Amino acid sequence: MEIHRYEKIWFGVAVLLIVAFIGTVAYGAVGAGIEMVDDDGGTIDPNNLSDHERFGDTGVHQVGDGEFEVNMIAVHPSFIPNDIEIPEGSTVTFYMTASDVTHGFNIAGTNVNSMIIPGQITEITVEFDESGTYGFVCHEYCGSLHHEMEGQIQVVPEDEFGGDA
Amino acid sequence: MGVFAHEYPNEAGIVRAALASSFVALLLGGVMGLIQALHRTGYVQVIDDSTYYTVLTLHGVSLAILFSIFFLVGFFQWAVTDSLDRPSEDIRFTKLWYALMVLGSIMAAVPILGGFIDQTEISADVLFTFYAPLEAHPLFYAGLAVFIIGTWLAGIDWFRSWWAWKQKNRGEKTPLRTFMVLTTMLMWYLASAGVAIAVIFFLLPWQLGLVGGVNPLLTRTLFWFFGHPVVYFWLMPVYMMWYVILPKLAGGRLFSDPLARIVFVLFLVLSVPTGIHHQYVDPGISEGFKFLAMTNTMFLLLPSLLTAFTVVASIEHGARQRGGSGYFRWLTDLPWNRPAFTGMALAALMFAAAGFSGMVNAGMNFNYLVHNTLWIVGHFHLTVGTAVALSFMASTYWFLPKITGHKVFSKRLGLVQVVVWFIGMVFMSNAMHRIGLAGEPRRTADPFYDGVTFETSLGTISELHAQIALGSVLLVVSLLLFAAHILLSWFNFADKDAPTPDTIPPALSGPEHAPAVLENFRLWTAIAIGLILLTYTLPIAAIVSGNGWFGPVTTFIGDTSSFLTGLFHAVFGVIP
Amino acid sequence: MSSGTEHEASPDTLDEPDDVWEVDIEKQIGHDEYDPVGTLSLITVYFLIIAFLWVFMYFVEFLGRGPTVV
Repeated sequence: MEIHRYEKIWFGVAVLLIVAFIGTVAYGAVGAGIEMVDDDGGTIDPNNLSDHERFGDTGVHQVGDGEFEVNMIAVHPSFIPNDIEIPEGSTVTFYMTASDVTHGFNIAGTNVNSMIIPGQITEITVEFDESGTYGFVCHEYCGSLHHEMEGQIQVVPEDEFGGDA
Repeated sequence: MGVFAHEYPNEAGIVRAALASSFVALLLGGVMGLIQALHRTGYVQVIDDSTYYTVLTLHGVSLAILFSIFFLVGFFQWAVTDSLDRPSEDIRFTKLWYALMVLGSIMAAVPILGGFIDQTEISADVLFTFYAPLEAHPLFYAGLAVFIIGTWLAGIDWFRSWWAWKQKNRGEKTPLRTFMVLTTMLMWYLASAGVAIAVIFFLLPWQLGLVGGVNPLLTRTLFWFFGHPVVYFWLMPVYMMWYVILPKLAGGRLFSDPLARIVFVLFLVLSVPTGIHHQYVDPGISEGFKFLAMTNTMFLLLPSLLTAFTVVASIEHGARQRGGSGYFRWLTDLPWNRPAFTGMALAALMFAAAGFSGMVNAGMNFNYLVHNTLWIVGHFHLTVGTAVALSFMASTYWFLPKITGHKVFSKRLGLVQVVVWFIGMVFMSNAMHRIGLAGEPRRTADPFYDGVTFETSLGTISELHAQIALGSVLLVVSLLLFAAHILLSWFNFADKDAPTPDTIPPALSGPEHAPAVLENFRLWTAIAIGLILLTYTLPIAAIVSGNGWFGPVTTFIGDTSSFLTGLFHAVFGVIP
Repeated sequence: MSSGTEHEASPDTLDEPDDVWEVDIEKQIGHDEYDPVGTLSLITVYFLIIAFLWVFMYFVEFLGRGPTVV
């Protein structure tokens, strides 16, 4: 088979480009420490959320020094809870599940972005180093009022933090 | 060889019918797009927020499924009949698959349209992805299944033609166009199995009450098993146009026939085991499986990058045969006054840009930046919305005379139409990408929240919304021009016969240079299946062992048995 | 624009032969006498653009903003 020299060069460059892309993403995972949402959260029966140790008790819980857990249920068209307050510098682990249909969770303008699927528990850990208000939305269509599904995370300076919600 | 419409009148009739169906869906889907774009940017709101999702479902299904697939089956029928130079083995079978596709489309459309009527309970506001446990009327799923079965029969039809051709042409290389059709259809059989299984074994039994529930992550995974490779089902006909028609329109010859075949084989092998890259931020799937899907996806860039070279080199060959010279000056020696050439070339240019946003989408953790934002919508309006749609429209200006027997009405009108589409998409898609980086979600009727603001570094969100609205208006203007132009041409208002023999020149490096192993479809299909098993067996086993075939049940074994019992019930329907 | 034919002067291009191959080819170029230098140039430009954009998007747009899932 005849393949032109230029095309061979391009083939080599294209393979290098692909390897470089994969390498960049691997660096992000290992070097920059970005974790993927995965199966760590485990599974759950979406019909019996109230019996579950976490989701029978939704809300924000302090579990250590600067460490918080948020147990959240997504149900069209709300997040429960939808108003979260934590002190600056906290590490927050979100445990999220859905009781009805598939939802999404995206803190606008950040890299915190995941799906919430009935039967699965989405577990993600986020560090909030800067105070401010972070709005989040449901980004997967979940019903006729989908566009009203939102919430806020208030990250307040440590001395203004009022404790567990 | 004479004009296709006269040589093969029966086949040309099917091609015309498929194209007509396709264009009806295009017009309907396009108008829905305009309603959405003006609604979500707040400029004109003629519907309620809740109806937006009915409009969005209709937009997605009409354009992504009906417009694209009806067009490509028509185009493939022409490609097979013309390149093998033999009629359909049994035209009744050809009519049967077309009729099934129409029936399936109507079955799926009725419940979607029911969403507009408040008095009826029938609806299918589940969007193109129909993620369970969102529920559509069962007719919607059944319609999709019938439509897909129609496409499967179409593939069988073309394989039959090829087998019959082979009996008479032993030892010859399959003509390039037929080779491309067959590899595409093999890919499609593998890919559509995912959605067929989801619909037939899980969604319909669940809706009909045969099984207790549904495992949303399982049906979602099966959807994306199909949902990513379906884009190659749209794209591979476009690649055929770029490889076969575009060089000829430029006055050149395909640079390398063997390389074109290699590209199609790569698509067959690599297209399906990539779907999990749509699920990078899903719970319940471990990082390793996601990384594997990324590796496959990234290597799938290879056939597209090779295509970029081969197609541009073939066009450049045309420019040089027309007297072009220099490193870049030859670009001015191309037939930019012809709508078929210009439209396809602009579509290819857009695809180069789409390639970049696709690379971002493919990058596993990179996906946190863009997942489910308007960036994604910007991306696929460059791919299916331009690379595919604009190529289909532009190629129609070349293709229509072959199947109607008369000339296209006006080149100038065609040129205006393709350029307006390009400009409209530059505005709309660019704004969508940027607004997506600000975090504005896709699939939202009203992205103005009480407690959430989106911030963009350059310009303002309202400027970007204005660009989306402007772009969508230009796109629909282009669409209306196209529709009017097709009507004028179809009914021969210009009263001109189709141009005389319009043959496709042979490739510079011809099929005789292609290694024989490329013709071994069994081998490539087996490799494709092997890769699919490698990529999907473990994730699906994990999803099912975690939450059952039909939702949360305790054990894998117990659940498998309940699956088999459910299946038995579904088949025999007698045991309570 | 294209290499100057009389057809472009007509009010609409209806009567122009459809096939570029019939009107505009100045010389046939075979496989061995053709080096696609223009393609190599274009694709080099494309490569530079996507390589730059990739680095910018990953390291500035993505890693440069937070918070991120850790």
